[in-house]
Amino acid sequence: MLRRACLGLLLAVSLLGCEPTTSEESLSGATGQLVIYSTTDEAAFEPVVADFSKAYPGVRIAYVELQAFELDRRFRDEMASAKPSADLLLSSAMDLQIKLANDGYAKPHISASAKSLPSWARWRDEAFGFSFEPLVMVINRKELAGRPIPRSRQQLVATIRSEPDFWQNRIGTYDPSQSSVGYFVMSQDARHSSDFASMAEAFRDVGIVTAQTSSAILDQVESGRLIVGYNILGSYARTREARDPNIEIVYPGEYTLAVTRTAIIPANAAHSKAAHLFLEYLLSIRGQRILTSRSSLSSVRPEIENQYSHLGIAESTVGPLKPISLSPGLLVYLDAAKRKKLMETWSGSQN
Amino acid sequence: MIAQTTSLRLRLVGTLGAFFLVSMVALYFAALAYARLAADKSYDRLLSGSALSIAETISITDGQVAVDIPFASLDMLSAAPDDRVFYRVVGPDQRTITGYSDLPKLPATRRGSVDVGNAGQFFDAPYRGEQVRFVSLGRLIAQPGMKGFVFVQVGQTRRARDGLARELVFGSLAPILLLGIFAVAIIWIGIDRALRPLGRLGAELAERQPQDLNPVETAVPLEVVPVVQAINGFMRRLRENVAALRTFIADAAHQIRTPLAAIQAQAQLAEGGDVEEVRASLAAVSRNAAKLTRLVNQMLSDATIQHRSEVRVFKEFDLVATIRQSLREAVPLTDDSDVRFTTSLRTAPLIGDRLMMGEVVKNLIQNALTHGRGDHSEVLIELTEANGEYRLAVMDRGPGIPPSDRDQAFERFARGNSGQPGAGLGLAIVRQAVESHNGDVNLEGRPGGGLVVVITLPGKGA
Repeated sequence: MLRRACLGLLLAVSLLGCEPTTSEESLSGATGQLVIYSTTDEAAFEPVVADFSKAYPGVRIAYVELQAFELDRRFRDEMASAKPSADLLLSSAMDLQIKLANDGYAKPHISASAKSLPSWARWRDEAFGFSFEPLVMVINRKELAGRPIPRSRQQLVATIRSEPDFWQNRIGTYDPSQSSVGYFVMSQDARHSSDFASMAEAFRDVGIVTAQTSSAILDQVESGRLIVGYNILGSYARTREARDPNIEIVYPGEYTLAVTRTAIIPANAAHSKAAHLFLEYLLSIRGQRILTSRSSLSSVRPEIENQYSHLGIAESTVGPLKPISLSPGLLVYLDAAKRKKLMETWSGSQN
Repeated sequence: MIAQTTSLRLRLVGTLGAFFLVSMVALYFAALAYARLAADKSYDRLLSGSALSIAETISITDGQVAVDIPFASLDMLSAAPDDRVFYRVVGPDQRTITGYSDLPKLPATRRGSVDVGNAGQFFDAPYRGEQVRFVSLGRLIAQPGMKGFVFVQVGQTRRARDGLARELVFGSLAPILLLGIFAVAIIWIGIDRALRPLGRLGAELAERQPQDLNPVETAVPLEVVPVVQAINGFMRRLRENVAALRTFIADAAHQIRTPLAAIQAQAQLAEGGDVEEVRASLAAVSRNAAKLTRLVNQMLSDATIQHRSEVRVFKEFDLVATIRQSLREAVPLTDDSDVRFTTSLRTAPLIGDRLMMGEVVKNLIQNALTHGRGDHSEVLIELTEANGEYRLAVMDRGPGIPPSDRDQAFERFARGNSGQPGAGLGLAIVRQAVESHNGDVNLEGRPGGGLVVVITLPGKGA
């Protein structure tokens, strides 16, 4: 019993030691390399990297931007062939990250910052959500040409059904067959929506446009080729809304899902010390503040006010925010048989 | 300096503490075994529920086993929020339909006992670096061209189970631990209260005047009564001893005063008397001085015997030789007394104090000579051996001691009713010396008149 207490004390002491203020003093001299595989746009993430480098100038960061599926496959290949790999994996495909942790590829990161994350944004001290991003509808108001803005999925489906010709090829979303994030957000829709099949059918009927990245969809919405971008990551959407008065973000009324970009440190990371340092910075108040203020991403920590902090209050207009939990439940949609079935529902080949 | 043993407080607390420690260890293992069982039982239900929900989706489509993992099947396992989950569905052809294809199999010893429709079989196995609890569930598929079991296996790491078990163990042991610490503390404090009567007893004894040897009157708890009884008994004996000593001093003073007074009177008488009277007075002075000398010798002898019987330096010696030497010392050569020693023994080895036994013999001879002196003075000493015991008899032809007075004769300064002169120390000395040699001394009448002092002593072999 006593030993346990001692361990607890040690842990508490080491937790204190992990607080950014103290580690900045003691570890600012840390040097070395840090290889990050990430799905986040390098441009969007740059302010975070820059601020980290200011705090720890000795750490050289190699930032490799990859698509979620590619990131997962490359990491697994490198593990299988025992090649040098990343020290930190940042991906918005929460399900793939959970699977990596579940398969035993992740290393625990225990700290006070990690503990103060909301419970849905961490799993097993191994997977940590570091951002908060609602999945929104992005609408080009000009192209709607006076039609009322659809405020919910139901309204969107209804307006599609009423004017199928107008909506032909004017709705875009992530490509679930090509993009892991696309499949992930689609599977979450399937889980949360009772009439997902009919929505998928409506989208199919008007020839939904798919793309591999949020930016590709947003480009087309901005240019007017598309009217609605569906299930777009809020962080990217907001930068467009800020610079183009025609763009409006709609938080779907029934429910608005929120994903969190998920970080894991590989179990055999070559520069694990630097990785822990970066992750701790990323989850700290300072890192989260930079994330919110200078990068377009939003903080996941409740202590920091962000663009979405007040969303939950006015439910009549916004609908309840539903953050997707980091939990093994996410593994279900990665099941090959399940995936096949879901893709069939999406593409209508089996209905 | 008072010899000290471990304090009562430490003894009590130590015993209780040790007992408590041993019971805690035993309890810990018992509680751990029970808690593991309980934790497994509760989480096994979830695991089983998860496997069942997967098994329900098993269907045959186009001659293929199909399964649609429900979201709830894995989500319900989030009741253990930090545990990894693994699943696998295996077809009748032993091929993995979906899930982790490299999951550990049910131990061979338990295979074959498949109960269809039950909650499944549970087992623990290491997988991907952690101990994992698995359930394996069989579903019978019977279709044309396909027959056999489809197995659903779901596993979960043991973090939540072990956590719950720890919580149960702690929850059950913490109150007992607290209780135990409390009990030890109570005893630590309570011992002062319990021992307070002893303190009072000590204070009462400490405050006493030295001459106050009355029984202790402080009320004490039942457990301390024997101590107080022993103290009171000891004090009673002490009181008696002090009384005896006072009597002895008074008697000794009296014994010394009488011859001294006589000497003084004779000396005064001699002053101014004629030669005949002076000669008679001198004879009386000499007689009284001899009496005094004998008394003082006896007192010295008494002190010697007392001292030596306490010290007990016992060695082997020959009783026959000792008696002969004592005879030589005790009977003056000029004396015409008739003292005879008879024995059939050449030697009489004995373990004991030669000096003490010598004093015994001398005292007896002097006693016999004193009391038996007269016209018909005859002292006979006889040593015999029987049954490993020596029997020493000293016989005189004096007036003897009536049987009713014989017990009293051993007291110091006991003067029989016979009115005979005598210090009365001799027999007391003899008895003390003989008893310190584990022997016996008795008084008997001598046929034809006189006293026999009989001493029995255990021989060397006894």
